[in-house]
Amino acid sequence: MSETYYECMRKQGITRRSFLKFCSLTAASLGLGAQGAQQIAHALETKPRTPVIWLHGLECTCCTESFIRSAHPLVGDVVLSMISLDYDDTLMAAAGDQVEQALEDTIKKFKGNYILAVEGNPPIGDDGIYCIPGGKPFVEKLKHAAKDALAVIAWGSCASWGCVQAAKPNPTTAVPIDKVIKDKPIIKVPGCPPIPEVMTGVVTYFLTFGRVPELDIQGRPKMFYGQRIHDKCYRRPHFDAGQFVERFDDAGARMGYCLYKVGCKGPTTYNACSAIRWNDGLSFPIQSGHGCIGCSEDAFWDKGGFYEHLTTVRPLGTAGIEGTADQIGGTLAAVAGVAIAAHAAASAIKQARSKTRNDLTSVPEKKVE
Amino acid sequence: MATYQTQGFTLDDSGKRIVVDPITRIEGHLRIQVNVDKDNVVRNAISTGTMWRGLEVILKGRDPRDAWAFTERICGVCTGVHALASVRAVEDALGIKIPKNANTIRNLMHAALYAQDHLVHFYQLHALDWVDVVSALKADPRKTAEIQQLISTWKNASPAYFRAVQDKLKRFVESGQLGIFANGYWGSPAYKLPPEVNLLAVTHYLEVLDFQKEIIKIQTIFGGKSPHPNWLVGGVPSPINVSGTGAIGAVNQTTLNMVKDICDRTIEFIEQVYIPDLLAIAGFYKDWAKIGGGLAAKNVLAYGEFPTIPNDYSNKSLLLQSGVIIDGDLKNVQDVDLKAPDQIQEWVTHSWYKYAQEQNGLHPFDGVTEPNFVLGKDTVGTRTNIEWLGTEGKYSWVKAPRWKGHAVEVGPLARYLVAYARGNKYVQEQVNGVLKKLDVPITALFSTLGRTAARGLEAQYTAHMMLDFYNELVANIKAGDLATANVEKWEPKTWPREAKGAGPCEAPRGALGHWIKIKDTKIDLYQAVVPTTWNGGPRDAKGQIGAFEASLLGTPMANPAQPLEILRTIHSFDPCLACATH
Amino acid sequence: MRADPVTGEVLQGPLEPVYVYEAPVRLAHWVFAIAITVLAVTGYLIGDPVSIQQGEASESFFFGWIRTIHFIAGYTLAIMFVVRVYWAIVGNKSARSIFVPPLWSPRWWKGVFAQASYYLFIGKERLWVGHNPLAQAAMFFMFTLGVIFMILTGFALYAQQWGWGLTPMNLFGWQFVLFEQPQTLRTLHHLGMWYVLLFVMVHVYMVFREDIMSGQSVISTMINGVRMWKAKPRAH
Ligand code: HEM
Ligand code: HEM
Ligand code: NFV
Ligand code: SF4
Ligand code: SF4
Ligand code: F3S
Ligand SMILES: [Mg+2]
Repeated sequence: MSETYYECMRKQGITRRSFLKFCSLTAASLGLGAQGAQQIAHALETKPRTPVIWLHGLECTCCTESFIRSAHPLVGDVVLSMISLDYDDTLMAAAGDQVEQALEDTIKKFKGNYILAVEGNPPIGDDGIYCIPGGKPFVEKLKHAAKDALAVIAWGSCASWGCVQAAKPNPTTAVPIDKVIKDKPIIKVPGCPPIPEVMTGVVTYFLTFGRVPELDIQGRPKMFYGQRIHDKCYRRPHFDAGQFVERFDDAGARMGYCLYKVGCKGPTTYNACSAIRWNDGLSFPIQSGHGCIGCSEDAFWDKGGFYEHLTTVRPLGTAGIEGTADQIGGTLAAVAGVAIAAHAAASAIKQARSKTRNDLTSVPEKKVE
Repeated sequence: MATYQTQGFTLDDSGKRIVVDPITRIEGHLRIQVNVDKDNVVRNAISTGTMWRGLEVILKGRDPRDAWAFTERICGVCTGVHALASVRAVEDALGIKIPKNANTIRNLMHAALYAQDHLVHFYQLHALDWVDVVSALKADPRKTAEIQQLISTWKNASPAYFRAVQDKLKRFVESGQLGIFANGYWGSPAYKLPPEVNLLAVTHYLEVLDFQKEIIKIQTIFGGKSPHPNWLVGGVPSPINVSGTGAIGAVNQTTLNMVKDICDRTIEFIEQVYIPDLLAIAGFYKDWAKIGGGLAAKNVLAYGEFPTIPNDYSNKSLLLQSGVIIDGDLKNVQDVDLKAPDQIQEWVTHSWYKYAQEQNGLHPFDGVTEPNFVLGKDTVGTRTNIEWLGTEGKYSWVKAPRWKGHAVEVGPLARYLVAYARGNKYVQEQVNGVLKKLDVPITALFSTLGRTAARGLEAQYTAHMMLDFYNELVANIKAGDLATANVEKWEPKTWPREAKGAGPCEAPRGALGHWIKIKDTKIDLYQAVVPTTWNGGPRDAKGQIGAFEASLLGTPMANPAQPLEILRTIHSFDPCLACATH
Repeated sequence: MRADPVTGEVLQGPLEPVYVYEAPVRLAHWVFAIAITVLAVTGYLIGDPVSIQQGEASESFFFGWIRTIHFIAGYTLAIMFVVRVYWAIVGNKSARSIFVPPLWSPRWWKGVFAQASYYLFIGKERLWVGHNPLAQAAMFFMFTLGVIFMILTGFALYAQQWGWGLTPMNLFGWQFVLFEQPQTLRTLHHLGMWYVLLFVMVHVYMVFREDIMSGQSVISTMINGVRMWKAKPRAH
C-alpha cells in the first residue's frame, strides 16, 4: 500500500496534463466545481490504491455489466489506476482454491482498510443453501468479508432492497445486505442495475474525499438519489400541459408526450436517470418511449403492474379479487349509493305509515324544576 | 459408482478428486468436480449449479405483460434475451402479431447483444485461459506491432502503442497490487503463446473493455438503457418519428445515424481485432481441436434465430436455422417443436427439486419447480459445508433438460452445426474458410477450440446482420411504415380465459425457451429452459450426463492443482448459472 | 332539559334550543366540505387525467392547474384542520366530540348500537344534543382519522418535489420509509379519497334524512349553531 493513484497513473504513462483533465472531468460528473477538481487531484496524488473486494450473491450480474459500461471514468481506469480489485469472481484470472486464497489474503493484509462491494444478496432461508459458492452458504462469506471492511457498498436493488428474487413469495428468503451486516456503514446504490457513472461516481467520491458520501435516511447517496426521475424528466412539460400517451405507438407516443397514463413510475422513483441518463448520457427508459418501472425503489416488483398508474390492491380477505384504487373505491361507493337509496325508500315508507311525529321520540315529558 | 458407460463415454470416479469452486470468469456460481486418473486425465466430471432464485415461482399470478421485466433479470450478461423469449411466449399465447418495424428493431437489439456478449466473453472471460499476462511483459513491442500489421489493418498498430500498454502493465504488476490477476496460473507450461502475441491479446483486452460499451448502445437507443433495456408485448416501446414535431425522443434521424455508425464500427472491430486474434491464438493451440468435444460430435440443438418475416419462427424465416442433430447425423437434421409433449422435457432426478415421479421428465407446459435440497449418501461434508458432492443423489440447482430423451449441446457451435447442415451458405463459407486457414479437419469443430471459434464467426455474422437490419429499418420507414407496436390485444379483457404459448429464442449461449400458461388474465404457469440448463445440467434418471460433464472427459491436465484445462473447456461454453437455474 | 353527559342523549324535557356548534366549528365544517369536494374532483383527475391531444406543451398548463388547485385546496384543508383542532381544545364540549369520542364508555357504545338499531328500523328514535354516538364514531374514524391520513400522505407526496434532505422531506419523508416506497403511499392516498368519500356520501344522506324525519333540527344547526326540537316528546 505504498503507491498512490497518481504515481500509478504516471507510471502507466499518463501525463500530468491528462491526469488533471481526468480530475476535472470526474469533478464535473460529480457536480463539483474547480475546487472539487483540485481536491480530487490532491487525493489521488497522496493516497494508495484502495483494495476492493467485490462479492456476488444471488444476482444477475447486471450490476457488473453496468459497471463495465462506465464512460466517465472509464472502467479500465477505475480497475487499473484507482482501485485495486483484489477479489471479484466475475473477472479474476484464477479460480477455485487460488481465488479463495486471494480473498483471504486481501482480508488479512488490508484488515480494516478495504472496501467491500456486494452485488446480489444472501438468501437466508433453509440455512442459506440457495446460494452455496465454495460449498458454503454465501451469507457466511458475506459476513466474513464484511467483518474487517472499512465500508460496504450495496450495488443495485438486490443488495439494497432484495430485488427480483425477493419479490413475492421470495422462495429463497433473499434479504438485502443490511439485514445481515449491522455494524458497518453501508452505501446503498440501488437500481436494477444502477447507472454506470453513478457506480463509478460513488467509488471516486469515496476515494477522493476519504469518506462515505452524504446519505439519505434510506442509505442512498443524496447526490444521485435525492430527486425523482419526474423532477428532471424532459417530458415534464407534457405532464404539466396534460398531454399524455394513451396507448403505445399512438400519436402522442410519436410526439414524445408524457408516459404517466401508461404506467410511468417517474413520479415515485428516486434515481438519476433523467439527469445523468444511461450509456454515456445517450438515453434512459422514458426517452425510449417506455415508462420508468421504478427499478431503484424498494420492492418495486410488488407494487402492481408496470403499466398501471397505481398499485393494484387486493382488499383484505378477498384472495382472488384485486383491482385499482378506483375500482375498489368506486364499487364501495356504488354499494353505499344503493344502500342509501334503499334506506331512503324504506324511511319514506315508514314515515308515510306513522301518523304523528310524536311516536318517534323517546324523551319523557317531565318538567325540570 | 466406480465405472459405468453412458452415451458412449466411460465414467470412472475412482481417481483423485479435484474440486474447482468457484469457477471464475463466468456469470453466477458454478462448481466443477472431476476425478483424474494416475496420468492426470479426467475420467469423471460433475457439474453443479450452486444458486437458485425461483423466478418461475415468483412469476405465478402476475400480469403476463410484465413477465419480460422479471425474466430479463434472470441475467444481466445476456441481457434482453429472456425478455425477448418472454414477449414471444405471451404473443404466441394471445395470438398477437407484431409489426415489421418491431421485428427488425428486436433483431437489431438482439444481434447487437450477440456481438457485444461474444466479444466480452472472448476477451474478458475466456482470454486469460490462453493468454499469459505476465509473459506479455517480456514481449518486444516492435514485434507485436509487426504481428498486428500482418494479421489485420487495425489502426492501433504502432510499436509505441504496444510499448505504452506494456509499460502500463509493467507498472501495474510492479505496484504489487495485482488485482484481478492475483494468483493466476502465470508461467504454467499450458500457456503456449509467444510473449508478443500475449501482449497483443492483453492490449485488446483493454480495447474491448472500452469498445463493447459502444456496441450495446443500440439497446439503449431502442430500449432506453443497457443492461436491461425495455421491451413490450406486441412490439417495441420506441416509437418512430423521423420528421414530424416531437421527433426528438422517438427513433429519429439522429439516432438512426448513431445506429449506422455503431454497426459499421462493430463490423470493423470484429473483423480487424476479434477474428484475427482468434485465428492467431488458435494457431498455437491446435491440440485443443481434439479436446473438449463432449456431446458436440453427437447431439446438438438449436431453435434458430433472427426471423426475417415477422411472427414467423420457422426455417423459412430464420437467418440461423433451427434443428436437432442426433448421433452426429448431419444428413438428417430433425425439426424441433417446442410444444410437442415428447420433445423437450426436464428431469430433476439429480437436481434439487421435487417431482411427483422423479423417474419421469416433464414438458414445460406441465413443468414443476419446487425446491428440495437433499444430498446423496456419497456426499462428503454437511449441508452447509460441502466438500465433495456425490452423484448418487441430487447434486445441482440446474435441471436436466433432454430432447426426446437425448442430452444435447446448445450454443454457437450447435447453431453453426445446424445452420451448416441446413445449407446456410454464409455459415458454410465462414466455417470452410477457417478450417482451411487453420488447416484442420471438420472434426476439429467438435472441440473446445471449435466452440470458441464458432462463437467468433457468429460474432462476425451477427455484426453484418446488424447493418442489414439497420438498412431494413430505414427502407421500411422510407416506405412509410412507422408502426412499432400492435396494441389491439393490449387490454386483458380482450384475452381468452385460458391460453398457453411458447417463446423460442437463441440466446448467445444457446437455445432458450419460455413457456407460459395464462388463466383469467394472470400467469398460471411459467417455465424457462435455458442454454446453460441444457449444457450445465446434471445427470438424468438414466444416468446420462450433460454437455459440461461430457466435455471434460478425457482431458489431460498438466497440473491438477492448477485447473487451467478445466477452465478452458468450461469457459468455451460461456456458462451462465444465473440463467441456468433462474 | 337534562342530557346524558357522555352520549349527549336528551333524557328529560322540557326541550329547549341549545347552542351546540360554535362559529369556528361551523366555519370549519363548510370549509372542509368545499375543500374535500375540490380535492376529490381534482384528485380523481390526477389519478386518471384527461389528455389534451394537440398543441405545444408550453401553451398549456392544464394538468398543472388541476394539481395546483388540488394543492391549494389541500393547504386550505390542512390549515383549517389545525384551526379546528385548536378550537377543539378551547371550544365547548361539542367542539371536541369528533376528536375524542368516549371509546372507553360502555354507555357510549350502547348509544352507538341504539342509533344503529334505529336506522335499521328496529329501535326507537332518540334525541341528541350534539352528534349522536353513531355519527360521532363515523366522524372520528372516517373523517378525523381519514383527513389526518390524507393530510399527512398528501403533504408527503407534495414534499417529494423538494427531494431528500430538505425541510419538507425531513418533515414528511418518513412515510415513504414506513410504507416501503412512494408508490405505496400514492396508492394509499388515492384509496384514502374513497374512504373519506364514503363518509361524505352516508353523512350527507343522513343529514338530509334526519333533517326531514327526525325530531330535531339538523342542517340549520350547522348553519346557525342552534339545535332546535321539532318533536313533542312522547310520554313513556
Ligand atoms: C365534503 C362534505 C362534508 C364533510 C366532509 C362533512 C363533515 C362533517 C363533519 C366532520 C361534521 C362534524 C362537525 C364537527 O363536529 O366538527 C359534520 C357535521 C354536520 N354536517 Fe357535514 N360534512 C360535509 C357535507 C355536509 C353537507 C353537504 C351538509 C348539509 C347540507 C352537512 C351538514 C352537516 C350537519 C347538519 C352536521 C351536524 C350534524 C349534527 O347535528 O350532528 N355536511 N359534517
Ligand atoms: C380529503 C383530502 C384529499 C383527497 C380526497 C385527495 C385525493 C387525491 C387523489 C385521488 C390523488 C391522485 C392520486 C393518484 O392516483 O395518483 C391525489 C394526489 C395528490 N394529492 Fe391529494 N387528496 C387529498 C388531500 C391532499 C392534501 C391535504 C394534500 C397536500 C398538499 C394533497 C396532495 C396531493 C399530492 C401532492 C398529490 C400528487 C399529485 C402529483 O404528484 O401529481 N392531497 N390526491
Ligand atoms: N445460459 C444463458 Fe443466458 C445466454 N446467452 C440465456 O438465456 O446468459 Ni446469462
Ligand atoms: S439489482 Fe437488478 S441488475 Fe443488479 S444484480 Fe440485481 S437483478 Fe441484476
Ligand atoms: S414521463 Fe414519467 S417521469 Fe416524465 S414527466 Fe411523465 S410521468 Fe413524469
Ligand atoms: S426504471 Fe430504472 S433505470 Fe431509471 S428511469 Fe426508472 S429508475
Ligand atoms: Mg426452468
